[in-house]
Amino acid sequence: MQPELKKPEESKKVDTSKPVRAVRKSCTADGVGLSHYILMDRKAK
Amino acid sequence: MLTTVHTPVGQPATAGRFCNTGYGPSLMPLDIGHPDWMAILGPETAFWSLVRRERLADALADPELLLESYRERRPEFQAEMDQLRFGLQPSAVYFNATDRCNLDCTYCYIPGDLRRHGAHMSGDQLLQALARLKEYFATSMGETTRKPRIIFHGAEPLLNRAAIFPGIDAFHDDFQFGIQTNSTLLDAEAIDFLTTRAVSIGLSLDGPEAAVTDRTRTAWNGDSVHAAVLRSLERLADYPALSVITTVTTANLDRLLPLVDLLHEMKVPACLLNPVRCTLPGARTVKPDDRALATALIAALERTHVLYRASGRKLIVANYANILLAILAPTARRLMCDISPCGGGRAFFAVAASGDLFPCSEFIGLEAFRGGNLFQDGIANALQSAPFKLVTGRDVERFAPCNTCAIRHYCGSPCPAEAHEMNGAMERTGAFCALYEELVRHAFRVIADGREGDFLWEGWDAGTTTLFAL
Ligand SMILES: C[S@@+](CC[C@H](N)C(=O)[O-])C[C@H]1O[C@@H](n2cnc3c(N)ncnc32)[C@H](O)[C@@H]1O
Repeated sequence: MQPELKKPEESKKVDTSKPVRAVRKSCTADGVGLSHYILMDRKAK
Repeated sequence: MLTTVHTPVGQPATAGRFCNTGYGPSLMPLDIGHPDWMAILGPETAFWSLVRRERLADALADPELLLESYRERRPEFQAEMDQLRFGLQPSAVYFNATDRCNLDCTYCYIPGDLRRHGAHMSGDQLLQALARLKEYFATSMGETTRKPRIIFHGAEPLLNRAAIFPGIDAFHDDFQFGIQTNSTLLDAEAIDFLTTRAVSIGLSLDGPEAAVTDRTRTAWNGDSVHAAVLRSLERLADYPALSVITTVTTANLDRLLPLVDLLHEMKVPACLLNPVRCTLPGARTVKPDDRALATALIAALERTHVLYRASGRKLIVANYANILLAILAPTARRLMCDISPCGGGRAFFAVAASGDLFPCSEFIGLEAFRGGNLFQDGIANALQSAPFKLVTGRDVERFAPCNTCAIRHYCGSPCPAEAHEMNGAMERTGAFCALYEELVRHAFRVIADGREGDFLWEGWDAGTTTLFAL
């Protein structure tokens, strides 16, 4: 069953007072998708 | 080619205090088309920052605003990119259990002769092939809880379901399986088999209505397959590991908005809106104009956003989501076409029905890129073969115009097969350049407005750590 839909949250508030913004996140690289197949890594139930 | 910059012994501690000269990092301003923000990029390390337009000069001249903090972390970012670009081992295989297909799509990268008369792997051969792959991954992947992936691909995998389904059952503890199918043979029994075994299922659909899909995807005799795909979509409506590929061509460029509406309505969680790869001449007959393609894709992306805001349900456009990831968390990217070297022959490889090994499915019709045979030569040899090295050695740092392009590690200049066949050499761009310029600019505008989460799946950053934040 499709779960109850929740209303989307407001898009993230952006701090416009900062002159410079940057974020970099990191994890173990394990991407193996190519353009002829999607790997979304969403586990089937 | 590793690009790490070493400060030589004897250099003053001030080496690198300016950007863009000497040992200083390159920091390139990029107009992202936003009224308030510009980007400043460190192309070699895929570093990015957003700067208020009126502070651009300060951000480049005042070391405390950006340069110092970037300079400090640059070696770490560089090491991360080097690992991503040169340090991966294969952990997935695109497996063609048959080279035959019951469709004759205009643009297919598998030559028509092969799709009509190609090999069909026997059940025994398939089991043997999976056993060899299991053995290979046990050594190549080392200690990990991650299972290698096998994606039954094609041609049309379900033409050989008699071999594939027993393979999935025999190796369900060893691999995570997926299948990409044109859906014509995906009957209720097949759906039951695949969904109860948590196999991810990709379908292909090119239009919101048969008249559009039929322009590029029909059976050999011209029969429509559109309705068969819709039937499968209905049956799979609540399946979380469902996805749809749309190949974007001149035949459907003006129908992407209704197509996105249809996919969303049918509760498809993710799709690819792929530019047609122009590796073979047939595909070039439906190649859209680069800029027109960018405009249409961005309109389709914005349509998914409107649908999400109205319904609370996302339709992720995975090829775009991947560009956002390439910016926000380079190592979290899922698709490996838009990184250079691409994933072909290093993150994954492809097996044809004969057991022949290719760096990627895209090369299956190109004999010169055959790196060996799974049964005769083994995988390790193929990975070291000259044809594989041609692909894994294609590096955007080494050829123009990519080597000076600020977004080269978000775009990756796909695709080597296309560059080689269409534009005559590996060290050329592929069919589309403006498309990636526009998609990356759009991605930065989305980030500037704090909308990136709306285009990514829930929990996209679970398992990541924040390396850097300003
Ligand atoms: C080659 S098919 C194989 C699996 C299956 N027969 C199917 O139709 O999904 C895999 C995907 O690649 C797409 N494809 C084929 N040729 C392509 C090309 N030249 N450019 C982009 N996508 C292509 C197809 O439309 C399909 O979505």
